This record gives sequence, C-alpha cells and structure tokens, in this order.
Amino acid sequence: MGRLSFKALTIFMAFLFTLLLFIAIATLFFVPSPSEILEALKSEEMAYSLRLSLITASTATLLVILVGIPVGYALSRFDFPGRSAVKSILDLPMAFPELVLGLALLLFFGKTYVGGVLSDIGLKIVFTKLGIIVAQFFTAFPYTVRIIYAAFEEVNLRYELVARSLGYSEFETFMKVTLPMAKNGLFASTIISFARSMGAFGAVLILAGGSYMDTEILPITLYLNISYGNIGMAISSGIVLVIVSFLAILLFERLEGGGHNVVRG
Amino acid sequence: MLEVENLCIDLGDFHLRDISLSVEEGDYLTIIGPTGAGKSVLLEAIAGFYPLLSGRIFLDSRDVTHEPPERRGISIVYQDYMLFPHMTVFDNIAFGLRKKDLPKEEIKREVKYIARELRVDHILHRKPGTLSGGEQQRVALARALVIKPKILLMDEPFSALDDKTREKLRSLVREVIAEHGTTVIHVTHDFEDVFVLAKHVAVMREGRIIQFGTPEEVFSRPQCEFVADFTGTNLLRGKIVGERNNLTMVKVGSTILYTVDKAEGNVTLSLRPEEVILASEPSKCSAQNVVPVTVESMERRGYHVWLSLSSDDFSFRAVVTPNTVVLLGIKPRRRFYALFKASTLKVIK
Ligand SMILES: Nc1ncnc2c1ncn2[C@@H]1O[C@H](COP(=O)(O)OP(=O)(O)OP(=O)(O)O)[C@@H](O)[C@H]1O
Ligand SMILES: [Mg+2]
Repeated sequence: MGRLSFKALTIFMAFLFTLLLFIAIATLFFVPSPSEILEALKSEEMAYSLRLSLITASTATLLVILVGIPVGYALSRFDFPGRSAVKSILDLPMAFPELVLGLALLLFFGKTYVGGVLSDIGLKIVFTKLGIIVAQFFTAFPYTVRIIYAAFEEVNLRYELVARSLGYSEFETFMKVTLPMAKNGLFASTIISFARSMGAFGAVLILAGGSYMDTEILPITLYLNISYGNIGMAISSGIVLVIVSFLAILLFERLEGGGHNVVRG
Repeated sequence: MLEVENLCIDLGDFHLRDISLSVEEGDYLTIIGPTGAGKSVLLEAIAGFYPLLSGRIFLDSRDVTHEPPERRGISIVYQDYMLFPHMTVFDNIAFGLRKKDLPKEEIKREVKYIARELRVDHILHRKPGTLSGGEQQRVALARALVIKPKILLMDEPFSALDDKTREKLRSLVREVIAEHGTTVIHVTHDFEDVFVLAKHVAVMREGRIIQFGTPEEVFSRPQCEFVADFTGTNLLRGKIVGERNNLTMVKVGSTILYTVDKAEGNVTLSLRPEEVILASEPSKCSAQNVVPVTVESMERRGYHVWLSLSSDDFSFRAVVTPNTVVLLGIKPRRRFYALFKASTLKVIK
C-alpha cells in the first residue's frame, strides 16, 4: 500500500513537471502570430545567425571532442602527478557564471602576452567570429570531458590488457578496442557539446561581442532583438534554437538507446 | 621457458616481494593463496602490465623485463572472459592473428581449427553478449591459444561457471593444453584444478611465494602451518620412538603411529584428509594406522563432506563422500576407527 502510493506519487510528479515544461515550451510556439514568425524566419538576419551558429558550434564541438578524448582518456587511465588538480581545474568553468568565464577569456586573449602573440600570428580572438568558437569551446569543454571520462571509465582496463597481450600497441589498442567500446559515451558527449555550444551566450557576448550581422549567433539574435523590442524576431530565434537543440537531443536518445532501470507494472 | 628473478613491485599499499619462479616449457603451474595475496598482480606483472621495482623476467633466455606486453607473446584469460563486445566471436578469436600479417585464408583456417577444438565453431558469427558463460570462456581460450603464446596465463578462468560447466571445461582445457604443449600459469581457488591440471603449484601469501613444488609435495608436505591450514592438510606433532618392520614408530600423545619416513627426535607430521578412511570396526587391512576417533562436526563442501575427528590425543580432519556418510551412518559424537597407511603419514620437519 505504502509502496503503491509512493509509486503513484513519483509518477504523478514526473507527469506534472513534464506538463509544466511542455506548456512553457509550447507558449513559445503559439503566443506570436504565425505570419510574424514566418517573416522573421525568412529574414536575412535570421539566416545569417543560424548559419553562423551551426558553423561555430560544429567547429567548437569538433575541437572539444578532439581535445576532450585524450584528456578524458588520460584522466581515466593514468595516475600522474597533478591529476586531481587537473580534474578540479577542468571542472571550474561549470561553477563559473558564463559571463565571468567570458570576462576571463577576454582578459586572457586581450590583455596578456599570449593573446598578443596569437593576434600577431593572425589568430584574432577578441570580438571576432573566432572568438565565438573559443567561447563556445570553453563553455562546452568541462561538460564534455566529464562524459568522455565516464565513457572511458566504463571500459574495463582488462580489455586493453588482453589486446596488448595479443600484440597490439597502446595506440592500436586505443583505436581498436577502447574507442569502439566507448562509442556511445562519445556520441553522447558530441551531442552535449554541440547543444552547449549552440546555447552559449554569456561568454560569447563578452569575448566575441554581440555585433549585428557580424558575431551574431542565435542566442545573440534573441538578446539583440529583445532589447530593440522586435518580439517576433526574438521569439523566432528562440524557436530555431529549440528546434536545433531538440533535434540534437533526439539524435542523442536514439544513439544512446535502451538501458533504463525500470520496474515494470 | 619463463624465469622470474627477484621480482619486486610496489603498488603503494601492496608489494610483491622478491618473487623468483622458473617455469619449464610445457609446464603447468597453478598459483593458489588467499584473496589479496597478489596472485593477479603477479600474473599481470609477468604479462608486462606493471612496472617493476626490481628484478628481471626472462622468456626463452631473452631478457623481456623492459619489453612491452605486445612483444612478449604471453596471452591472458580472465575470470570474466573480457571478450570484445563489438566484435563477433570470429573476430575476437582472429584478433591476435590479424596483427601478424597472415593471409586471410590462413587466419580463417586457424580460427576454424581452434574453434573446433574448443567447440565454439557453431557460434563464430555471434556477438559475445549472446553467449553462455561456458561458451564465452571457451572463446576467450581460443582467442588466447590461437596466437600460440609462449605462455598462457589464466586468472581463475573457471570461477564464474557452475559446477558442471567447470568440470567439463577443465577436462577440455586439459586436452587442448596437452595437444598444443602450451606452457600455462593458472591462478585458482579450486584445489580440483591443482589436482587435475597442475604439474607444479606455488602458494602465495602477502605478496610472496611461500611454497613451491609438485601438488603432491605441497599438499602432503606443507612447509609451514599456513600452507597446511590453507591446503587443509593435518599437522601432528610427535616423537620418533623406534622402528618396527621397516616402519618408523612415532608417538603422538600416547598413540603410536607408523610412517615410512626415516627421522629422529621431535617431528611434525602431515596427513592429507582424503587419505583417511573411516570404518565401524578396526578391521584387518593394509592400513598400518588405526585410531579410534569421535566425530566432532561435519560440513558439506561441494561434492565432499569434511569431518572433524578427535582421538584421545589429537584432532584432525578427514574428507569422505556423502555416500560414505549414509553407508556408515556418520553423525556428530559417533565413534569410528580412522585408518590410514604409513606411507600417507609424512614427516615434514
Ligand atoms: N593497480 C593496483 N594498484 C594498487 N593496488 C593494487 C592494484 N592492483 C591490485 N592491488 C592490490 O594488490 C593486492 C593484491 O591483489 P591481487 O588482485 O593480486 O590479489 P589476488 O591474490 O589475485 O586476490 P583474489 O584471489 O581475490 O583474486 C590487493 O590488496 C589489491 O588491492
Ligand atoms: Mg585475483
């Protein structure tokens, strides 16, 4: 009896909360008039912003994964001096407000010797499109590395030992055994990384500057148009963001597949 | 042939200390010892997975101490199989061969051959996740054997299997190993493995090898209390008091026992529990030692029943079959005669 009503309560909570969330999201689609939205979607600004968002977020994701795989692997497999320090520092940006992260990046690339050197060799980061990618990279990286790390932790070290004993070097073992076995986690981390990059706002605003039709990605479009009072345009960019993220999550669920702990009945 | 010289490993909380071992070609060494003794660490050190603090490892007289695992030609089989889940059974078995640049046809032939020997040729197309434990372990064995390793390491390979499957796999392993002449080091908790498979056995405790020898030597002549206790061997203390009919007479308490070993003074004797026969009558038979005993307690372990027996002067343990228990009506506090041959009572110190 107690167990039954507890079950009912938890299921009820799940439905109630989902309903609230669903209604909130649905408002986004139904409050503005369809013609207003259609207009906004067809605007040059929206096309520019969507394209820039997709390009920067994909590039950032690619970089995050390329850097995240070795970092996650090192953290999961090797015991090296400073390992726990590395782990905590990598996690730091998650606790940072995005704006502060952006500020830190702005100071680093704008006011330090390293930033100067990068700028001299043509890598201008402050208030540029490149800056968008950098900001997205740092926003998404900690989350992604966590998932990659967890994915490697799932692969029993002994699989690697068996492969080594059968003649495969460390790198070959990584490519033929570890990576394929961590595949699902790596897919998941890609999607998370992409979603975080698409939605990155604070850090992008500070480092890349939110300038119209230049460093304007979807969250910036939303922000700029809200400030100008173009509600239709703002909502449309919100809708596009939601749709892109939703597609990403859908893909994520499909790829991850199964594996729920469910008591049936 | 494998030689391990004074190997030491430091894992922080745990150390392997001064391990020396020599395993001849075609030898079958089992390693036994309590949990946490360092058996798995030793196996993996031989395979090359741990950095050594000191010591050297030779394979066929070649110093491989600093060789990475992939260049040692030592393969390993674990308790939980460790089959690559993203590959079919065929690809799992072929994995090691593919590294050797063999023609495709030859790989196919070798995989099929070993698969037939280990009776997994009917499941080559399946993924490991769909196999039973026994099948998975046979595939793991095939994968390890197909590369013709210089040494095959096995870490409790049968532990995760049920009794029947374990029994079957054990005799299959014995056949296949004999057929290939493979040199094996096998960590186990099951003495049956030692008796059925091993030519040699090493006992480990707290990171050291404390006794090494043939199963016969180690089980019937334990060098210390720990090994005696761990292997279930009875230890008795007595004094040599003379000789009769070419047998040595030992006095244990006030009981006179006979042994074929020659010795003098105070001695420690060992007696394997499975050498003890129980009888209701002190019948005339070839056993020179006949001791009246009382059954103190009995405990069923697997196929056997362990009895704690006490005579007027000493206590010891015996193993009988459930059949014997029924036949003789063995129960706690009943009195019987324990019979054992003079040749089974060994002087160890
Ligand atoms: N990589 C490692 N780092 C530090 N300590 C380790 C490592 N691997 C094993 N140990 C420790 O070494 C000790 C011996 O472990 P090992 O696995 O060799 O025991 P074992 O004899 O195989 O025991 P069991 O019979 O339970 O398998 C244990 O205390 C274990 O915690
Ligand atoms: Mg072990």
